Amino acid sequence: MNIILIGMNHKTAPLEIRERLSLTCGNDANHLAEIMKFPEIQEVLYLATCNRVEVLANAVDTAGAVEKLRAFIFHHGNLSAEEMARCLYLHYDDEAVRHLFRVASSIDSMVMGEPQILGQVKDAYRTAVEHNTTGVILNRVLHHAFRVAKRVRTETGIAHNAVSVSFAAVELAKKIFGSLEGKTILLIGAGEMSELAARHLLNQGVRKILIANRTYARALQMAENFHGTATDFDTLAEKLRDVDIVISSTGAPGYVITPPMIEAAIRRRKNRLLFLIDIAVPRDIDPAVNEIDNVYLYNIDNLQDIVDTNVKSRQREAEKAEAIIDDEVGKYHEWFNTLEVVPTIISLREKMEGIVKSELVKSGSWMQNLNEEEKKNIEILAGSIINKILHDPITGLKEESRENGALPYIAALRRLFGLDDV
Amino acid sequence: MDTMFLKAALAVYFVSVLGYVTSIYVRRVMVAKVSTWIFFLAFLCHTISFIFRYLETGHTPVISIYETLSFFAWAMAGVYLAFQPKTKTRVLGAFVSPVTFLLMIAASKGLEGYVSIPEVLKSNLVPLHVILSVTGEALFALASFAGAMYLIQEGLIKNKKVSGFSRMLPSLSDLDRINHFCLMWGFPLLTLGVLVGSLWARTAWGSHWQWDPKQVWTLVAWVFYALLLHQRLAIGWKGHKAAFLSLLAFAILLVSLVAINLFFVTAHSFI
Repeated sequence: MNIILIGMNHKTAPLEIRERLSLTCGNDANHLAEIMKFPEIQEVLYLATCNRVEVLANAVDTAGAVEKLRAFIFHHGNLSAEEMARCLYLHYDDEAVRHLFRVASSIDSMVMGEPQILGQVKDAYRTAVEHNTTGVILNRVLHHAFRVAKRVRTETGIAHNAVSVSFAAVELAKKIFGSLEGKTILLIGAGEMSELAARHLLNQGVRKILIANRTYARALQMAENFHGTATDFDTLAEKLRDVDIVISSTGAPGYVITPPMIEAAIRRRKNRLLFLIDIAVPRDIDPAVNEIDNVYLYNIDNLQDIVDTNVKSRQREAEKAEAIIDDEVGKYHEWFNTLEVVPTIISLREKMEGIVKSELVKSGSWMQNLNEEEKKNIEILAGSIINKILHDPITGLKEESRENGALPYIAALRRLFGLDDV
Repeated sequence: MDTMFLKAALAVYFVSVLGYVTSIYVRRVMVAKVSTWIFFLAFLCHTISFIFRYLETGHTPVISIYETLSFFAWAMAGVYLAFQPKTKTRVLGAFVSPVTFLLMIAASKGLEGYVSIPEVLKSNLVPLHVILSVTGEALFALASFAGAMYLIQEGLIKNKKVSGFSRMLPSLSDLDRINHFCLMWGFPLLTLGVLVGSLWARTAWGSHWQWDPKQVWTLVAWVFYALLLHQRLAIGWKGHKAAFLSLLAFAILLVSLVAINLFFVTAHSFI
């Protein structure tokens, strides 16, 4: 195996260095062409995101290729030698494959389990395919990586459970209401986190959003952003009657929502469930409202606690994911080993002989009328047909392998004759 | 033949209980899905055993106490399975399947061999009375399971313990909907069942109502259910109070179903 992976991520390199590299390179295809000019490199994939820059290559000459790639990064990233040593990691063969699998499965991500990275890897692969910079080896590695990512997602809980405050709020809302289709939110005050939570809720099918603010002009402006309705701050108590979810984040020094307000609203709303999210510090909603039947109040600390627990549980799931990846790296390695000429010839022969054997069994019913010698002759005939058919491909393979170019032929042969049971 | 299928049903119900319990333990939806299919298989065996029993004994097999227990289990399993695709609340199976299994164990104790039916029960009204009442009661049992799960889930949400067991439970709204639905259907069925029973009582005992302990307890439970339904439909009760009251009403109903036959002298006990 001559696979090399060189790169840097959020753990090894600070933002300013990562951005220097990804800015100059961008995510266009120029660098692919540039790398393909190195004679040491046969195939290459280039992946740049906000959190990482990675180059995956299949080399003819590993040492030479690494040197060229280092020079390439040095040149584009404008890095000092010391920075290069500190920020870059370099993996070979199985370890390079493992690293790619971990990246695609989002184990290596800043927010472990986040779904975007797989899409980014797929984009990078698409670019590489369009520019014809991948071949037998990288195609296989990448497709395998996509499969591994899917397996990790379905077999572990790595992507379960919200790891941001706003998503935690959405999950809670679902736990209370089931589906959020047709629900109504009331957003009181402004703030990045509350607006983010409102956006997530809207994405989940919330039908209507009311916006209240001390300054009505601001409410109007936000209402426009959210395609919602601005409402008067003084009529809050009334509005509580009609909404299902309240997100509050005002700068008010005291409580904006009090138990008597909620009690009155709950009676008028015929006990429909009410979910209150208090993101403000100091708090907007009197904690005593949580005691009221069918009312559920969460403040920013409660949500943060949920997030912390979920982060820990994702870390536990990551251990399971590592085991899956171990297993898959092993499988990749096995496949790679089959890319030798001799085992391929053997399995091709076995496949053919298997076919002859099973066809002879199938024909047993009419062949019983033949005598032993005739049967023998049929078997000999079938055997020599195999030999004749296989003669040219096997000779061709052997010739190619002497010139070191057999890999694509082997891979094509294995694919066309179905010699890999994957 | 009927006992063979009954035993098969019992065994398969047991497997589904194991499946559901495992699904809670390992927290995998797949395991719960498979358990639901196993539960369905058990239900089919159970249904076949009813058909054979009907063919072999010649009476609708809901007369003896054991037959009734078996029918109760069957009705509950059937209603749960009918719901299941709509509500996607497989975890409810972890409540329903063990109860079904226990009822089946109790039922299987007395279902072997032929039961001779007293002359007085040979009326078409008797099976009708049992089928209506028991189906109503099975729906109430499901309502109470949903109510119990509601109270658990609500307690977890109120106390901010949402990272663990809470994930396994359905949302509050879904549980409330199941509770509501089961009450809406259970109540008229039980009411009709009692009415048919009293029609029969007129022919057998000479009066519609006996003030027998079993009747009285059932009446008390019925009043509670009537109250609950009224609060739900007219006052708009939802959630916590409704869940709690459905549990309380079912507890009273259980007294009438179980305790009365064991500890009281009742005219309502036959075979």
